Amino acid sequence: MTESSPEPTVLDAPPSMAALFAKAALTSRGRGGDLPGTRLARRGVSVDPADVADYARVCRFPLTDALPVTFPHVLTFPLQVALMADGSFPLALPGLVHVRNRVEQLRPIGRGEALDLEVWAERFARHRSGATVDLCASVSAGGAEVWRGRSTYLARGARPPEGAPDADVEVEVSEPGPGAITWRVPDDAGRRYAKVSGDVNPIHLSGLTAKAFGFKRAIAHGMWVKARALAALSGRLPDAVTVDVGFRKPLFLPSTVTLATAPRGSGWDVAVRNADAGTEHLIGTVRSG
Amino acid sequence: MATTPTPGRRAAIVGGNRIPFARSNSAYAQASNQDMLTATIDGLVARFGLQGEQVGEVVAGAVLKHARDFNLTREAVLGSRLSAATPAYDVQQACGTGLEAAVLVANKIALGQIESGIAGGTDTTSDAPLAVNEDLRRVLIQLNSAKTLGDRLKALRGLRPGQLAPEIPRNAEPRTGLAMGDHAAITAEEWEIGREEQDELTVRSHHNLAAAYDRGFFDDLVTPYLGLSRDSNLRPDSSMEKLAKLRPVFGTGPGATMTAGNSTPLTDGASAVLLASDEWAAERGLPVLAHLVDAQTAAVDYVHGGEGLLMAPAYAVPVMLARQGLTLQDFDFYEIHEAFASTVLATMKAWEDPRFCKERLGLDAPLGRIDRSKLNVNGSSLAAGHPFAATGGRIVAMLAKMLHEAGPGKRGLISICAAGGQGVVAILES
Repeated sequence: MTESSPEPTVLDAPPSMAALFAKAALTSRGRGGDLPGTRLARRGVSVDPADVADYARVCRFPLTDALPVTFPHVLTFPLQVALMADGSFPLALPGLVHVRNRVEQLRPIGRGEALDLEVWAERFARHRSGATVDLCASVSAGGAEVWRGRSTYLARGARPPEGAPDADVEVEVSEPGPGAITWRVPDDAGRRYAKVSGDVNPIHLSGLTAKAFGFKRAIAHGMWVKARALAALSGRLPDAVTVDVGFRKPLFLPSTVTLATAPRGSGWDVAVRNADAGTEHLIGTVRSG
Repeated sequence: MATTPTPGRRAAIVGGNRIPFARSNSAYAQASNQDMLTATIDGLVARFGLQGEQVGEVVAGAVLKHARDFNLTREAVLGSRLSAATPAYDVQQACGTGLEAAVLVANKIALGQIESGIAGGTDTTSDAPLAVNEDLRRVLIQLNSAKTLGDRLKALRGLRPGQLAPEIPRNAEPRTGLAMGDHAAITAEEWEIGREEQDELTVRSHHNLAAAYDRGFFDDLVTPYLGLSRDSNLRPDSSMEKLAKLRPVFGTGPGATMTAGNSTPLTDGASAVLLASDEWAAERGLPVLAHLVDAQTAAVDYVHGGEGLLMAPAYAVPVMLARQGLTLQDFDFYEIHEAFASTVLATMKAWEDPRFCKERLGLDAPLGRIDRSKLNVNGSSLAAGHPFAATGGRIVAMLAKMLHEAGPGKRGLISICAAGGQGVVAILES
């Protein structure tokens, strides 16, 4: 957050995601212009332990006194969707593809901590097949920042404003070898994660709703794939950790995939690939600090 | 028949960790055995700086266990901050699981096969393993092995709506069909254990545990978990008047004395104890609180033999005392697991009874009376609760700390009764 940031709009409750997705779909035409400077915030958010338990179960995190590293994303995501659904946002939400996500946990966050959330959009950038935008989030506890998130979305065919910087979507990773961990991802994986994350984007929910948006089958949430990969490293992650992943080819449901992990210094490189074809779904780095 | 003790090295108890015990379906309703055991091991790792370290072996177990948890302890280790190269295995000896795990680790250390180890246990009655109805299970197995459509249809004809009711694990003995409390009630009646003395023991357990928490005794033995920092069954204001209002839940007729107050409730929780050779502890600058001196198990025939289900420790203790050349009075602390208040009282009464000691234990003289002021001085299962496999670790770590605080050369006795008519007992010494 810079000093020139405008005052955020503070919401009392998380916005309804289904309503936002509907609004975004209905108002997708005729969007354009530059990124709005809007910031949305929520203050003193306390986490419902039952929500954490449900999220942990779906992503396979153990139940501890700390929030799963990726959990703050589901707290801040509704605010980001509200930002994108708003008429002032230049890109149409349906069709946005999540291509990169970086989360930084500055320290483990206790389940009982009151959290301040703030989100904004930045870096409207030029990509070879369109434009990208970063949806950012900052989570603070007791006045100190404890978690940061940055989701990069690609809008195919969209045009960035004049003088836009180049997109930054590549994660530098020395790819780990074949994976030892196999997941059978069932066809309801999207619905299960939607229930615990609130991300009810239709492309994840069923084959029929995914087809309406141009996918041959429903696809897994990238953030679920990322969360589950991190859960597999439970007990082997530093307390202060940065996890940066690129989402490659969609993970169609159902699928069997492998997770490969390779130690790199005090961290890991990870890759999730289709078990048969070897297609990459996710590659990323887990680093201390 | 007593054997001669083998002199040699003894395993040290370095310390312990547990999560607060929670009454069933409360704070830990969403936690699995693996969650609780992992959190408990990680707490122990944090306390003793074992991050990334390989200990000799981790031994733990659970009494109520899902089929998927066949390798529970190893899975917990893999999810913990211990080195993934730490071997582990599961044990299960009903409520004796935790203490038996400590004995197994201690024995390997004493033999020089390992230098360090963690013993533990976990149990949840909230996230309990429900199984499909036994009749349904047979139909499904038949269906699964059917080769032809005809065979499959034949198997499916065995389906009945009533089979949808799951099998719920019960705290009952398979051979008698009686709940453990009903067995304990039989013993209570046999030994004429009164309601008032049971309630007195219960009040003392709550007051002792509360006092121990208040003076910070558990600060380095318990790590908060999921919002709990003390055992949720603890009633610091427990009193004879309050307990007197409760109606008996076990036993029948006017002689029934056992209530929900003087019996342990179903509880969720986990515990772990770090054991090591003296050298291993010294190398790391870790304390030696006490040594595990000896242990003994016993079993009784509660089905056909006329002995009480929970009376096995009464048999195990004299065998161990004889081997060590000790009397029942040679101890500074007694930790008799309070499965039920009546169980503790019946056990002590049996040791005082000349006839029982002669006829059942084959002793010339009764073992005699225990100084009650040395019994369960920091509270026991009636107050803390009793997540079956976690109780042994709770007691071992707590007693080792008590002995250490009391100074060198102090001795403590642990006695734990278990389902199946079994008992595990042990001696710790500072």
